[in-house]
Amino acid sequence: MNAPLSPLIHLIDDDDAVRAGLALLIGTVGLRVQAWADPQEFMRGFDRQGIGAIVLDVRMPGISGLTVLDQLVAQGVDQPVIMLTGHGTVELCRRAFKSGATEFLEKPVDDEVLLEALQNAVRLHVRSRERHQANREARAHYAQLSEREREVLGLIVEGLTNKEIGRALGLSPRTVESHRANLFAKLQVESLAHLIRHYAALAAESHS
Amino acid sequence: MAWFAISATGCVLLARTELAQLREAFETDARISHRLLSQRVVQHEAVLATLALLQPTPPAGSAESAEQSLSSVYPQILGVQRRDAGAAWPDPSLEPAEKLSRQTRGAVLANPDFTSARGRYQLVLAAQPASYALLIDIHGTIPWKDWSMPVQTSPVRVTLEHAGQAFVVQPGRLTAQGWRFAFHKHLDSQSQPFDVVALRQVGWQELPWVAMLLWAFAVAAALAAWSAWQDQRSARRRAEALLRVGQVARLNTLGELAAGMAHELNQPLTAILANTQAAKRLLLDDPGELPTALQAMDQAVAQARRAAEVLGRLRRTVEQAAPPEPGQTVDLARVVRSALDLLEPECQRRGLVASVHIEQIALVLAERVALEQIVHNLITNALQALDTVPASERQLAIHIGAAHGMGVLRVADTGPGIAPDTLPHVFEPFFTTREGGLGLGLSLCETLASGMGGHLSAQANVPRGAIFVLSLPLAPAP
Repeated sequence: MNAPLSPLIHLIDDDDAVRAGLALLIGTVGLRVQAWADPQEFMRGFDRQGIGAIVLDVRMPGISGLTVLDQLVAQGVDQPVIMLTGHGTVELCRRAFKSGATEFLEKPVDDEVLLEALQNAVRLHVRSRERHQANREARAHYAQLSEREREVLGLIVEGLTNKEIGRALGLSPRTVESHRANLFAKLQVESLAHLIRHYAALAAESHS
Repeated sequence: MAWFAISATGCVLLARTELAQLREAFETDARISHRLLSQRVVQHEAVLATLALLQPTPPAGSAESAEQSLSSVYPQILGVQRRDAGAAWPDPSLEPAEKLSRQTRGAVLANPDFTSARGRYQLVLAAQPASYALLIDIHGTIPWKDWSMPVQTSPVRVTLEHAGQAFVVQPGRLTAQGWRFAFHKHLDSQSQPFDVVALRQVGWQELPWVAMLLWAFAVAAALAAWSAWQDQRSARRRAEALLRVGQVARLNTLGELAAGMAHELNQPLTAILANTQAAKRLLLDDPGELPTALQAMDQAVAQARRAAEVLGRLRRTVEQAAPPEPGQTVDLARVVRSALDLLEPECQRRGLVASVHIEQIALVLAERVALEQIVHNLITNALQALDTVPASERQLAIHIGAAHGMGVLRVADTGPGIAPDTLPHVFEPFFTTREGGLGLGLSLCETLASGMGGHLSAQANVPRGAIFVLSLPLAPAP
């Protein structure tokens, strides 16, 4: 697992002055910036695992920003994309959002607008990564349960007591109690509330 | 090809009509001849029958007198012979004919001679007590006086034929080639059933060549006129298309220029904004960042210069693209006429007839295409303005004149006119009051006009509407 130091913003614009100015501006709020002049180089070289966002100019020589956006989405890149354009038409805007852009901003862009959009995007990304992360961990823990423990988990989530579970599965309450202790340990949860919050969905999923 | 087909078809029809007429005339002539000849030969029978009935007793030894008296009335009857009962014919060759006549109880032909110059034959009728025979001159039998054709010059050959002999009544003119008409009919007489044969040969030279030639010429002329009309139409369409293309091309160039300009200016503006705002943030957050902030300000200054350069470059480009100095002498009235010609369908659609008043012929120095574009634009604008008023109030008046060395064209409409506060802006680029208008038409016209040393202005019409006045320098008198 890589632990990102701070969010990294990828800035793609073919104009040197624009790149330098925007990079400086973004840096003032403590975000790290990696600037790219060539979109193709960016596609080859950027870190897909890192937390952050992508700022993409629409009008670039060789390859359009919209094409880059399409490629990013197709490759499953989860960083939010903010599109920047010199003259934004409604049609262009519509296409960008349809392709999965998070924001669509017009040049010249005001600092407040850009920085707020970036911070929103980063927050969004962090949250989605966390959600993914938690989900992945829960699945890993769940995989360690035995068949019987999963049955017991399913009934716990449904709100049954140990006694009721024992009756339902034909087990003594004592055995149920030991399964219960085991699965709490394997799933690394301290409380019933914690268990239900993180594993109710998984339990229901595997039951059906 | 079309000419050949139409001409040939017409000629064949003409020739067939002519031939049909000739055939009808021929058949009429032939029928008349047959009727006339039939009447004559029937007379012979009548004369013979009368003789046989009356049995005129000639004074002693003068059978001659009867013959003479008959010949004076019927010149074709050369002589009369008579065989009294018990006597023999002076000419014994009449004997068999008389025998036959006795059997048939009618006149009988004898000794036909069709081949001699005048031709002759005899007609015998057996009777009691005396039998008679007439000697008949064929040439004399022909009723020349009533003959329907000029004997010597007629192209129709007429012959009387009998038993392989033929008497030529009228030689005619028979040629080897062409169309042949023929008529065969026996005379309506038992005793003299001669065959009337008429032949007519129509030669190539008798076809209606003059009419056919005229027809071919007429077809050629009509086709030429048609294709000239077509050419004119397509030329007009081409001119229309060219004008439109020229306008669209100019507008496209302007549109692209605008888009390009927007991008070129946006980049430095973006950089300036980003740099200055970053510098401000840096200075506010931490005075220690002063050097970085200064760098950002330098960047902003450089980018402001860059923006200025973009504008300078644009201005130079536009100046280079301005039309070259006018060289042609153009008649304003002609340009107006051709523009009205092109816009004729537009005028018709609005139920409008433009009035053109030429106060003075104005020959101006101008670039023809540019001038055409201006005039076309002004008239189109006027027509569009007139769309907003009722059809009965639509008027488009065009006035051509000259003043102070300038040719002047005034296009006046009775449309809604231009509001006084917008009047100063009508020639500004991207200024429009029309839905969907680009606002470049009048601006372009104004640029073109001043490029040619003239100018374009707008004023209010009385009581309503707008007047656009185009002035261009007059061409020096030759």
